[in-house]
Amino acid sequence: MSEDAKAALPNEKPEHPYLEYSVIGSLINNFSTRFCAGCGYGIIANIFNRFFQDEKLNPQQYPLVIGVGCYTQIQVIIHKDVQKIWVLHGRAAAVATGMKMANPKLKPIIFSGDGDCLGIGGNHFIHACRRNIDCIIFIFNNSVYAMTGGQAAPTTLYGAKSSTTPYKMIENRSDGVKLALAAGASYVARTTVAHPRTLMKYFKKALNHKGCSVIEIVTPCVTYFGRKNLDSLGREIGGEKGDKMDSGGKMIDWIKKVTVRRNQAKFMSEEELFNKYVIGEFRYDPDKPEYSEEYEKIQQIAMEEK
Amino acid sequence: MSLKLSKNNPHNKAILTTGNYACAEGAIAAGCLLFAGYPITPSSEIAAYMSRRLPEINGTFIQMEDELASIACCIGASYAGKKAMTATSGPGLSLMAENIGLGVMLEAPLVIVTIMRGGPSTGQPTNASQSDVYQVRYASHGDYQIIVLAPSTVQEMYDLTIRAFNLAEKYRTPVIVASDGFLGQMMEPVYYHSNFEKVERKKPQVPPEKYKPFEVFDDDLVPGMAVAGTDYHFYVTGLTHDIEGTPEMTPEGGETLIKRLCDKITRARPDINDWEEKYIDDSDTVVLAYGINARGVPEAIEQARQQGHKMGYVRLKSLWPFPDELMEKLGRQGISKLIVSEMNYGMLIRETQRFQHLFEVSGITIPTTIPFSPKFIYKKMMEEI
Repeated sequence: MSEDAKAALPNEKPEHPYLEYSVIGSLINNFSTRFCAGCGYGIIANIFNRFFQDEKLNPQQYPLVIGVGCYTQIQVIIHKDVQKIWVLHGRAAAVATGMKMANPKLKPIIFSGDGDCLGIGGNHFIHACRRNIDCIIFIFNNSVYAMTGGQAAPTTLYGAKSSTTPYKMIENRSDGVKLALAAGASYVARTTVAHPRTLMKYFKKALNHKGCSVIEIVTPCVTYFGRKNLDSLGREIGGEKGDKMDSGGKMIDWIKKVTVRRNQAKFMSEEELFNKYVIGEFRYDPDKPEYSEEYEKIQQIAMEEK
Repeated sequence: MSLKLSKNNPHNKAILTTGNYACAEGAIAAGCLLFAGYPITPSSEIAAYMSRRLPEINGTFIQMEDELASIACCIGASYAGKKAMTATSGPGLSLMAENIGLGVMLEAPLVIVTIMRGGPSTGQPTNASQSDVYQVRYASHGDYQIIVLAPSTVQEMYDLTIRAFNLAEKYRTPVIVASDGFLGQMMEPVYYHSNFEKVERKKPQVPPEKYKPFEVFDDDLVPGMAVAGTDYHFYVTGLTHDIEGTPEMTPEGGETLIKRLCDKITRARPDINDWEEKYIDDSDTVVLAYGINARGVPEAIEQARQQGHKMGYVRLKSLWPFPDELMEKLGRQGISKLIVSEMNYGMLIRETQRFQHLFEVSGITIPTTIPFSPKFIYKKMMEEI
């Protein structure tokens, strides 16, 4: 490009349209996060801000209950007006249940990770789904316990290497979607950060849904998953060992490669779906009774009998 | 039986009920609107009673999946602006330990009732014990102070549960009511009076745009509390934090916060600590007891005094923060010996041993599950003096 052509371009950086709504943006007019290069949480936070602002949601109605994991740092770039309560590792669903039951006008949004929600907090997750309590549970699935240094999680894919599975992962993985379906959540979906539009669509549906919504989001962890593994996860296909996944772009490509749409998955065998993520909406049941509404009926019965 | 009686609650008449029911009724009188619990002997009756009574007053009862969730649910309810309570026993309190620490850190007012049973582990589920005196104080990791009340009659199960709610709201902290298996299950006449002040938590003292969740304006070191669903924005975390609630990882930041959290309780000791005393002025020897085990002491003391022994007694109604001022007072009164009577192998006695420069300390400390009879206490006292 010639010097003249460069001078003709606007020299200021384009303004980020949602910068002022984020916590850090409102303070220093810039994005600054603690996330590693290639992390997917920035995408999630941005989608959250964008959605909250575009839909003109009342932030006071959606308290954010945050578990413990890398994603707790999302609070730095999340919408500044949302009330945030950062609780213990795994207990977010239980705290949200208390908030919802104490004030049924609220609709808590839960940020939890795969280890947080399916590991240590598995029981609370199952029972929040079982009660069908009105809340949105986001499971950010990056396949490892990233904040503590990349240990194997319940969701780590078979054959993957991690800090605590230096040879390879031999445990079967836990599937958040299947668990939510079995436990009785009334809206269950899975998507990835490589499909942001779908994520927004699901988020919108969950917000308008009265009941327990579970959305699993597959997100890359370059630092602890991508750098340690090849995209074949130890499976040699035709002598090919697989490609490196040591950057955000490569991991997004890998995520796209290992995701299968639900409609396609119907025609695939168990073997073909091994170590794959099936994405899509798995259940939408708006008629299922919601716990706090059902409890109001109990209150009426009790008051009449009094 | 008392379930039916409570429906048209005769406030001016005594009714015969159990300690667990009295505790539940006390919570309702104090304004509790959410109970989250998990069944455990010998505290299950509190949950059963609450499940019937709370919906009647537009409150919520919820049976959670475990004790971890029960107390987490209470913390959530507390941050949504309701007074919340959970009830359990020793093994359940062990599970609640991490969330007690969170409650202290988030300064969430809530009440935990623990009906002590024999331990460790499963222990003796259907018996009484006082072996959780340290558990209630030191359950969670970290440096913190907590308020623990110890009822010794069914009437006090009602009164001290109300007091627990008031202290929790006043000082924005979890408060534990440490009762025991016998007191929870036994029946006594109780007055369900409404002759008390109901304390509500401190509201934010500044307009929403200037609000910082942990900014303190008063000498009591208690910040005004914003709840979810109001215009006040808050961000709270279990990490050490600054006044805005933002994680603060500097040594000074942690020090400032921990000091404030501890000082707000220890400074309020004159307000929190409560005890009953008799014959202290002219006694050489004083018996210190608490909870159900204190019930045999007055009779033993009367007997001893009839025999000409200069003896008195103190019954603690609050265990933690430990009433140092009471020990100093006993020292000033010139007593020469303190006998600590408790149903464990020596727990609270260790706190009193800090005051051995003032008086001699000895103990009747037996890890039994039966409260000491007056006869037994008398015999032991006579051996001591």
